[in-house]
Amino acid sequence: MSNIKIKSKNLNVYYGDKQALFDVNLDLNEKEVTALIGPSGCGKSTFIRCINRMNDVIDICKVTGNIEMDGMNINDKDLDVVSLRERVGMVFQKPNPFPKSIYDNISYGPKIHGKGETKSELDQIVENSLKKSALWEEVKDRLDEPGTSLSGGQQQRLCIARAISVNPEVILMDEPCSALDPIATAKIEELIDELKKTYTIVIVTHSMAQAVRVSQKTGFFHLGKLIEVGKTEKIFKNPDNKMTQDYITGRFG
Amino acid sequence: MTKEERLKKRHRAEKRFRFYGLTSIFVALLFVVILVQNIFSKGSSAFKKTVITTEVFFDQELLEIQNGASQEEIMEADFYDIMIENLIKAYPAKDRDEEDELLKLFSGDAEIEIKKAFLNDNNLIGKTITLDLTASDDIDQLHKGNYPRDLPEERRRISDFQLVIYDYFVENKKISKNFNNYFFNNGDSRDPELAGIGGALVGSFYSILICLLLAFPVAVLASIYLEEFAPKNKITDFIEININNLAAVPSIVYGLLALQILLATIQLPRSTPLVAGITLALMTLPRIIIPCRASLKAVPPSIREGALAVGASKFQSVFHHVVPLALPGTLSGTIIGLAQALGETAPLILIGMVAFVVDIPSSPVDPSSSLPVQVYLWSESAERGFVEKTSATIMMLLSFLIVMNFIAVYLRQKFEKRWN
Repeated sequence: MSNIKIKSKNLNVYYGDKQALFDVNLDLNEKEVTALIGPSGCGKSTFIRCINRMNDVIDICKVTGNIEMDGMNINDKDLDVVSLRERVGMVFQKPNPFPKSIYDNISYGPKIHGKGETKSELDQIVENSLKKSALWEEVKDRLDEPGTSLSGGQQQRLCIARAISVNPEVILMDEPCSALDPIATAKIEELIDELKKTYTIVIVTHSMAQAVRVSQKTGFFHLGKLIEVGKTEKIFKNPDNKMTQDYITGRFG
Repeated sequence: MTKEERLKKRHRAEKRFRFYGLTSIFVALLFVVILVQNIFSKGSSAFKKTVITTEVFFDQELLEIQNGASQEEIMEADFYDIMIENLIKAYPAKDRDEEDELLKLFSGDAEIEIKKAFLNDNNLIGKTITLDLTASDDIDQLHKGNYPRDLPEERRRISDFQLVIYDYFVENKKISKNFNNYFFNNGDSRDPELAGIGGALVGSFYSILICLLLAFPVAVLASIYLEEFAPKNKITDFIEININNLAAVPSIVYGLLALQILLATIQLPRSTPLVAGITLALMTLPRIIIPCRASLKAVPPSIREGALAVGASKFQSVFHHVVPLALPGTLSGTIIGLAQALGETAPLILIGMVAFVVDIPSSPVDPSSSLPVQVYLWSESAERGFVEKTSATIMMLLSFLIVMNFIAVYLRQKFEKRWN
């Protein structure tokens, strides 16, 4: 049994008057991939945005309940979100590289956190991050070119490299392949498989096949409630809940 | 209606629409051409001035100074006699009356022009040099062909005898057209041939500089705060609405405000670029804030999220990513705001910039004119010389505006990042 990295207890999220998450109790295991599935608007993204406090950006968003990482209360008002986000990286649905060079895209994070004091240290971080995200071979000769000049799949791997660059413990992925073609998707999935050796990964996905391929644990959300969670194999072969069964067999969603 | 009929009808409608579009573009272009042609035909002659080539002999007896005199001595010395003695030799006049008529062909600055020649070379005593002396406004206009010489004498400002002298000058090739340096270097003058936009240029420059220094930082910081940091509530909504309202306030209202507060209450010096700059800054502020906020808003949220997700603070995500990306739009908005301020006349009239100022301001607290106000002032003068100068000033103003707008467009095109 692996260690629990992140533990949420009775987590509720409200956007103004509208409640988006209802009493979510979900544990994420260390160095494992947890997939979150469910129809659009069911609260999967809202849940992972609680883990790095990205919901703070939204003025009307209110989070109650408990969410802990290694025993530290993430929801603590006094918690420094900057140091939290240094430990919890995020990759978004649409690749969003900065309109800067490939090198600057990756070196930005380490720079603001004071990692990589010298040029050679930074170079090393950039190289390692790009290698880990399987992009190094493709871009090593053109690190000065803008990140936006890469293809969609490369951009997404660049964003993964950017997330890795600050050496986080957890990586959140919000539908990272939804804007990519199947070949690029396959590359990202291979990459996720590799990354789980080092990082705890949470991935939101609309593709059941992807959840089966990459994850060890799957949570099914519906209308803001966590309906069922368990080993991926079990969820997809023999779910306890009728609703889960209906969703994975494509009867609704 | 059959399918074919419907198709024909649609094609006709498309054709008609294209015709309307082309017509309106043509009409708009026609007006621009008429305007530009009108200004050019009236104004281009102002860049030349008529000069009369005159021999000047520096007679020791008529001067109190010696060869090698210092600058101050020359400045104080009287060159009036030298001027009279030499000018009356330009044409073989028979008596005092004829000499008086002859002198009127030269500008009021002939003495100063002779003095300047001596300032350049203080060893001229006992020597004769040839100088191009500026002609009077009437001769200038006559030589440029703007003056009707077929009118009966009593309806002309130039007498028959002066025409005779003029013809004599033309015949002897003593009269010619030179580049009009006075137009750029001189301040305003009652004499059209001596009047220039030097004072107005410097005044406008100081005003716009002060306007930029005050409006740009305030506008940029206000935009960044409102767009990125301020909570979205009733107060910020109220501020936003009022910024938009302020941008639509007629500029003369800002002039009234400045008159009451800057001049009457704080008692800043009247007619100065300082007051003009502050007034224009008030007026320009909302006009910069609006494009500045728009360009901040145009930076996609994904860039902000990307920065936040790697652990940048709010402040870092704004100043490392959002502001640099919004900069081209901000700068071009600022330049367009300044271009509007440069052409603004009404508030400047209220704060006393219509005063007749001959001296070129040496600092922002000296009384001064400005380019649009100079246009306004000269357009009210009856002399033909001022008509061409009005148009020439408009040409200068327009060329500044075109250059500024060009820079704004260039900045936007060249530096704006595109994302997709």
